[in-house]
This record gives sequence, C-alpha cells and structure tokens, in this order.
Amino acid sequence: MESRDHLEFRENTRILVIDDEARIRDACSMVLSDQGFEVGTAEDGDKGLAMIRAAHFDLILVDLMMPGLSGLEVLAIVRDKHPDTVVIVITGYATLEHSIEAMKKGAFDFIPKPFTPDQLRAIVDKAIRYNRALQDIADTQSRLKTLVNGLTDGVLVSDRNRRVVLANHAFLHYIGYHGEAVTGRSIDELRVGERLREMIEETLQMPADTFTEITHELSWETGEDQKIFLAKCTPFRSRNGDNIGTVTVLNDITALKQLDKMKSDFVSLVSHEVRSPLNSLMMQVQVILDGLAGELTDKQREILIRAYGKMAGLSSMVSELLDLSRIEAGLISREKEKLDFEALLSDQITFHKPAATEKRTSLELDIDGILPVIFANRRGMEEVLTNLITNAIKYSPEGSAIEVSAGMGNDYLRLVVADNGYGIPEEDLDRVFDRFYRVKDEHTRTQQGTGLGLSLVKSIVESHHGNIRVASRPGQGTTFTVLIPVAQAP
Amino acid sequence: MSDQQLILVVDDDTDLVEALAMKLESENFAVAKAYDGVEGFDKIKERRPALVILDVMMPRKDGYQLCDELKNDAGYKDIPIILLTAVAEAVNSTNYTHMGGKTTLADDYVPKPIDLDKLMEIVRDNL
Repeated sequence: MESRDHLEFRENTRILVIDDEARIRDACSMVLSDQGFEVGTAEDGDKGLAMIRAAHFDLILVDLMMPGLSGLEVLAIVRDKHPDTVVIVITGYATLEHSIEAMKKGAFDFIPKPFTPDQLRAIVDKAIRYNRALQDIADTQSRLKTLVNGLTDGVLVSDRNRRVVLANHAFLHYIGYHGEAVTGRSIDELRVGERLREMIEETLQMPADTFTEITHELSWETGEDQKIFLAKCTPFRSRNGDNIGTVTVLNDITALKQLDKMKSDFVSLVSHEVRSPLNSLMMQVQVILDGLAGELTDKQREILIRAYGKMAGLSSMVSELLDLSRIEAGLISREKEKLDFEALLSDQITFHKPAATEKRTSLELDIDGILPVIFANRRGMEEVLTNLITNAIKYSPEGSAIEVSAGMGNDYLRLVVADNGYGIPEEDLDRVFDRFYRVKDEHTRTQQGTGLGLSLVKSIVESHHGNIRVASRPGQGTTFTVLIPVAQAP
Repeated sequence: MSDQQLILVVDDDTDLVEALAMKLESENFAVAKAYDGVEGFDKIKERRPALVILDVMMPRKDGYQLCDELKNDAGYKDIPIILLTAVAEAVNSTNYTHMGGKTTLADDYVPKPIDLDKLMEIVRDNL
C-alpha cells in the first residue's frame, strides 16, 4: 500500500536512463514507469546530455561503458552544469575500481549489472529521497533569506567563532556598514560596536541550561541621527545543547522612546502644575485648622476636615499617575539583567515594613531553599513586588498578616504574596487585572487608586514569559502567585 | 524675644511659605523667607539661621544644588537642612535605589503634602 503523497512525489520526478543496451533501457523504463516516475531514455551520452539541457531531470542512470561519451564523462558534465541532478552509475562489469572512481567524481551511488527490479527500485528511491532533502534545505534557506531580508528589524546570525552567517539589509544599514559581502567575515570587521560585540560574546558563553536571551538598550549614530535600539541576543544550540551560534535582533525604538518621553514630560508637567498648588492649599487649610487664623466653629472645622481629605486624595492620585508614567517609560526597553532575587525580596520587605507596621500588620518573608539568579528586568520586578505588597497592606484590616514567599519548582521561580485581609468578591476576581478596573465595596471606597497597578503587574510578568494567578475568599484573604521561568527552552 | 531661634524657609510657592511661617511663628520661632535657591543662599549668609527648610524644585537654583553647596562649605555645613520633597522624589531621598536612588547630604526630609505637626517634630529634633 502506497500513500497518495508518495505517488504524487513520484509523478513529479523525472528520471533519464542512458544506456547503449536497449534491453536495459526498456527494463529500467518499465520498472520505474510502473512506480509512477516519468522516465526518459537515451542510447548514448550525447543524446542524453541534449535531453538534460532541454529539460530538468531529477535523476540520471548512466551506463559507464558506452560507445562515444563514456559514463564518467557524462557524470562530469552533469555534476558541473546541473548540480541539482543526482547521478547513479550502472557498472557493466562489477569492478570496484570503476564504481569508486565514479563515486569520487560525484555519483550518488552505483548499481552493478545484472540487477533485479527490486534493487533498482530501492536505489532510485534512496537517491530521490536524498535529492528531495537537499532541495528542501535549499528551499528553506531561500525562504529564510527572503524572510529575514524583508524584516524591518536588523538581524545578524553568527557562528560559534563569531563569524557572520547571515546579516540582513536592515542590520547592515543600522550599523552603517556599506562594504563588501559580509558572510564568513568576523563580526569584528563589521565594527558593530563594543557593547554589541560583548553581548554576542556573553551569549556564546551561556551555559546550555540557563538564560536564553540578553537584552540591552543601545544607542549610536546612524547616518545623521542618533538612534536607540533594543538589541536582543539569543544563542542557538545543537542537538546536544552546545551553543553553536547567536542570533542578534536590533529593533529601532527611537520613535517609541521619543513619543514616550513626550508623554512623560506632559504627564509630569501637568502633575507638577496640579500638585504644587494642591500642596500649598493643603498647608493653608492645615494652618486654618490649627486655629492660627482665628477661632473656628465646629461646623467650619468639620467642613475643612472633609475638604482636606478630598485634597489629600487628589494629591495621592496625581502622584500615582506620575509614578505610573515613569514606570511605563522604564519598561519600554525591558532590559534584562541577572537578578539576585533573594536580595531584591529582602530589600522590598525592608522598604514596605514601615507602612505595614503603621497598620499593625506583620510582613514576613519566607524563602524556600536557594533561589537561582534569574534573568529579569530589575525595575519591573520591583514594580511587581511593590504593587502586590502595597495592595496587601492597603486591603487588609489592622492587625493582619502578610506573607511573601518564594521558591523553585519545575524550572519556574514561584513568588507568592498572601494576606488574610478583606479578600476580593468572586464576581470581581477575573477582572482585577483589567486596566482601570477597581473593586468597589465598603473596603475600597476609602482607598485612592488608579486601577492600573495590577494590569501593569500582569504585563510585566507576561513580558518575562511568566504567569500570574489570583485566589481569594471574601473575609479570608487574597493570594497572588507569580511564576517566572528561570531558563526558557530555545 | 531675643532667644527666639531663626528658621529660614525657602520655597518658590509664596502661599506655602506664608502658611509655614504662620505655623513656625505660632511655635515661637523667628522666620526668614526666601523664594528661590539664590535668594536662599544670600539670606543664609546675611542672617545665619539656626535651621533651613528647603524646597527641592525651585527656579534659578534648586534645593539639591543649594543643599550640596552648603554642606560642602565648612562655614555653613553645621546648619541643619530639612528638604521638602514632592512625593515622587521622596523615594529618591533615601538610600533605597528604587527610582534612580538619589541621596543627599540633607539632615532630614519631609514629603509633600506636608504634615505640619510632623514637620515641627523634625525641626525640633534637628535643633
């Protein structure tokens, strides 16, 4: 039983048999046509070559001993002019020397006369498969080259000796290279810049089971302009895990950075212009409340206290917006570095302890075993922890307990922030990560917030190919679990 | 009243300076006022206050710069300085490197919006 694929594969395959013996030509033609191949025959070398010139053949069976051009001569011409054609030689007298000579000159295989139809089928099938594999590789390479050259990102592929395997137009343009073809040259000759060279070096040195990506924000002049790039360098590995080269991608983030700076400038200008007068308003109200501008009636005092509360709310809202615009700006490039997560965690605990203590809430850190050094964006990770811990403090009554724990499991760093506070109602649980979404109940009414914290946390975690989950029971507490992969499979 | 200690308030927001002055005077301090860093330095030279309350964001010369100059000048480095910082900058005034980690030579800082009672407490602690 032969599959349809197999038949189609043969139908599109053309085989030429060149032999001066009509008996052999006819036998081969019959056996191979039966198989579904398209078969042509020629009685001598000259006629055979004329047919090959006229139309492509995938495979040629050629007799070594023929009047006129010999099989070896035909072989030499075919190898030279039609490298995609596979040649099998038919050896009339089974002498090893002739066969070996033919193989040395580029024949794929040889078949000694006399042969059975089965032998012929087997050897032809093997040759066709080999030829198809070669063609697939050539197709893939061509497809890859077209794809890579079409990208607006700059791409550089180098081997383990830091020689260029491939560099697309965008890459050469970005580094300002306008010289000769680069394939095979050392990356030093490209003058890619100190930092990029170090990145490639560092990537090649990466142990097989660790970090798979180095990211940096780099800046240099391209033509007239100062450009900012996000450079990402990844090793590629052989089947047994050795680094055999690197892929470097340059993403031009100049426009993004400019836009972001404009946004940040605007937000900070507005915030500053709003916050300064608010601050002085609050001072003035405090001075009046202190009775420094004369005695107050109870009613006046009550109204002023409420006004002061509203101002304080506005003021912290403005601060939060300002913080957010800074954080988002810092996260654009997502530069990653080796992070000592344990140190980062204890820093965070120290930092948030006073706020917790003020609410008579305990804040404990529990680290299970030794945490590996992970590869992450420092500011991003700080932001994740700050948000989760601040929320836990904010949404727990006085005298609660918050536990931050971390450990390893299945190549993931597991980080858990658990409180025994108010909890989140079930209907709100799957929306807490939405932008601007805020749970509205009696516990949150008094809390100021933009509703952006958790959505920011989620996007940071996801940019690290991680995952965040929340579990909660109203009245019993909330647990956030973050998983960050330690080493990503290439 | 000659034993009243002199406190210099430097801030570009005149309303805030006035409010602060009222509070300080009610606590029996003498108050000098300046509205930017340059003027602040002149007032320090002229009147030699016992303590300076210094805003960070100001025209002409900001609070960080003035603080730096005073603390690096043998003649003035003993005058305690309390920085007034907006909330976003407050984090920078500690050693914690959260947002760029700015440390200053100031003796203490109070985040804005200012809690007047807390400020008075800090003023007394530094005198």
